[in-house]
Amino acid sequence: MNILAWKNLLHDRVRLVVTLTGIVFALVLIAVQFGMFLGFLDTSANIVEHNAAELWISAPGIPHVNGGSPIAEAKRWKAMQVEGVEKAVSFTLFFLNWKLPNGAFESCQIAGFDLDSGLGAPWNVVAGSVEDLRGEDTVFVDELYKKKLGVSKVGDTLELNGKRARVVGFTRGIRSFTTAPYVFTSFKNAQTYMRLREDETIFILVKTKPGADVAAVKAGLQATVAGVEVFTHQEMLERTQAYWVFGTGAGTTTLMGAVLGLLVGIVVVAQTIYAATIDHLKEFGTLKAMGATNGQIYRVIILQAVLAAVMGYGLGITIALFVVNSTSDTDLLIKLPAEAAMGIFGLTLFMCMSASLLSIRKATTIDPAMVFRG
Amino acid sequence: MEALVTVENLVKTYGAGANEVQALCGVSMEVRAGEVLVMMGPSGSGKTTLISILGGILTATSGSVKIDGREIVGLPEKHLPALRKELFGFIFQGFNLFPALTAVENVSIMCQLKGVRNPRQRAAELLESVGLQEKLKSYPADLSGGQKQRVAIARALAGEPRIILADEPTAALDSVSGRTVLEIMSGLAREKNRAVVIVTHDPRVLDYCDRIVHIEDGRVGREEVHNQREKVA
Repeated sequence: MNILAWKNLLHDRVRLVVTLTGIVFALVLIAVQFGMFLGFLDTSANIVEHNAAELWISAPGIPHVNGGSPIAEAKRWKAMQVEGVEKAVSFTLFFLNWKLPNGAFESCQIAGFDLDSGLGAPWNVVAGSVEDLRGEDTVFVDELYKKKLGVSKVGDTLELNGKRARVVGFTRGIRSFTTAPYVFTSFKNAQTYMRLREDETIFILVKTKPGADVAAVKAGLQATVAGVEVFTHQEMLERTQAYWVFGTGAGTTTLMGAVLGLLVGIVVVAQTIYAATIDHLKEFGTLKAMGATNGQIYRVIILQAVLAAVMGYGLGITIALFVVNSTSDTDLLIKLPAEAAMGIFGLTLFMCMSASLLSIRKATTIDPAMVFRG
Repeated sequence: MEALVTVENLVKTYGAGANEVQALCGVSMEVRAGEVLVMMGPSGSGKTTLISILGGILTATSGSVKIDGREIVGLPEKHLPALRKELFGFIFQGFNLFPALTAVENVSIMCQLKGVRNPRQRAAELLESVGLQEKLKSYPADLSGGQKQRVAIARALAGEPRIILADEPTAALDSVSGRTVLEIMSGLAREKNRAVVIVTHDPRVLDYCDRIVHIEDGRVGREEVHNQREKVA
C-alpha cells in the first residue's frame, strides 16, 4: 500500500509541484519569522546574556537594561559587605551621540565595564585587545556597524558625546536590537563620555562566591543597599527581552508571521491533498471493494501527506538556511539552531497531516458501490 | 454443482417515505461453484444493486444471502472488508486500475491486502497466467483495453476468491479482446471451480455462460440454462 501513496504523489507532477510550493512557502515563512524572533530575543539582551555577573543592582524600576539611570557608586562598598558577594563592580550602559566624519550624528550605546574583573567586557574580539581600553578615550566597535559609525580601521578617531574616541579594536556579531550600536570602553572612560560624576554609575554588577545561594545574596543586597533594585541575571535578561521583543510588538509581529505561515501552509496543502483525494476517490473506492479497511486507506492518505512533508521540508529548510546565512553579515540576526530546525520539521509534519484530515473525512464517506457506476 | 451463493427473498430499498425506491423486490436465486452465471436486464432493473449486495459492498434491507453457508445480510459493516477480501474478486467495466502503478504493482497491491508472502512474485505469476508476462512494468495508460481487463482479472485472482463478480467486463473491449477475456473467465469457472457472475448487456458473453438470469423491475424473471461448454467447443 505504501507504494500507492508514493506513486500517487509522484504521478501528477503539476499537483506535486503545487503541494511542495505550498509547503516550502509556508516553511520558509515559518523558519524566517521564527528565526527573526529568536534573533530578536538574542540581540535584545545579548549584553546581559554574555555578562558573567549573577546579580545586577540598578536604580529602582528600570524597564530594561538599556534604560538605567545613575546611582551612587558608593553603594558598591555596601554591596561588598553582603555575605556571599565576591565582587561588586561598576558598569554603565547608556545612549550617547556618535559624531560621524561628515558631521552628522548617530546614536550609540556606550558599555563601560570594569577592566579588572572583565564583567561586561566585549566578546568575539577580532581586532585589538581589551587591555588596549585601559588607554584614555579608547573604544571598541563592532565590524557590522563600521559603515554606520564611519569607522574603517583600528586607529580611526571620531567624536563621542563631544569627546575624542579612538577605535582600538573590533568585535564581530555583537548586534544591537535598537538602531544604536554598542560601543565598548572602560568604566572610567564611560564616566567621562557620559559626563557622570566620579561617584556615579548606572549598574553595580555582582559576582557571588562559589557555592553561594544567589537568591539569598540577592535578598541580602536588597536589604542592605538602600534605594536600589536587585535583579538576578535571568530576571534582567527576561525583563529586557520582554520589553524589547514583546513591549515593542516586534516579537509578536514575527510570531504572528510564523503562525500565518503555518495557516497558509495548512490551507494550501489541505487544498492540494483534498483535490488529490477527490481525483483518486474511485481508486480508494476500488481499494475498499477489494477489501481494504478504512484504516488502510487513511494510511495511504496520511503517508502521502508525510511524504509531501518530508520532500517539502528538505527543500524549504535548504532555502531557509540560505536566507539565514545570507543575513550573517547584516545587523539583522536570524537564528535557526538545530532544535528549531527539528521543531519546524515537526510543525511541517503537523501541518501536512492536519491538512490531510479533510481528505480522510472524505475517504470515510466513500461508498464502495461507486466502483460499479461506470 | 454445489450452491456457493444462495439468495432468498432479497429486498433493497433506497430512500424513505415519498422518495422510497425499491430496487430489489424479493429476489431468490443460486450461484453454483464452477459455473458462469450471466445476469441480464434493462438499465435500472436492479442488476448492479444485486451484484453489490452479493459482493458485500452494499447492505440489503431484508432477506438472506448465504455465501458458502455463511449469512452476510445483517453482518456489521466492520466485518465486510475482510469478507470481500476473502471471498470475492471484482472485475469492473472501467477496469479501475491504479494509473500511477505498473501492471505488476496493480496486482501486487491486492496480494499485499491478502497478506501474500512475496506479493510481487505472485503478481508476476498471475499476469503470466493471463498472458501479460511482457507487460509487467507497463502502466495502464500504455495498455490496450483488453490488456487492462486482463490485469484486472489477474488482480481479482490475487485474493484466491471463491466468487468472481464482473460488471460489464467486455463493454469497453473489441471483439478479439472481449473473447480473450471471456475465455479466461470461463476457464476460471471450469478449471478452478470458481463461481463467475457476470452482469452484462453484451450478447458475446452468452457463448461462454452456463445460465442466464433475467432481472426485471427488481425481480428474477426468466432463467435460461446454456451449455456453454458445447457451444465454445
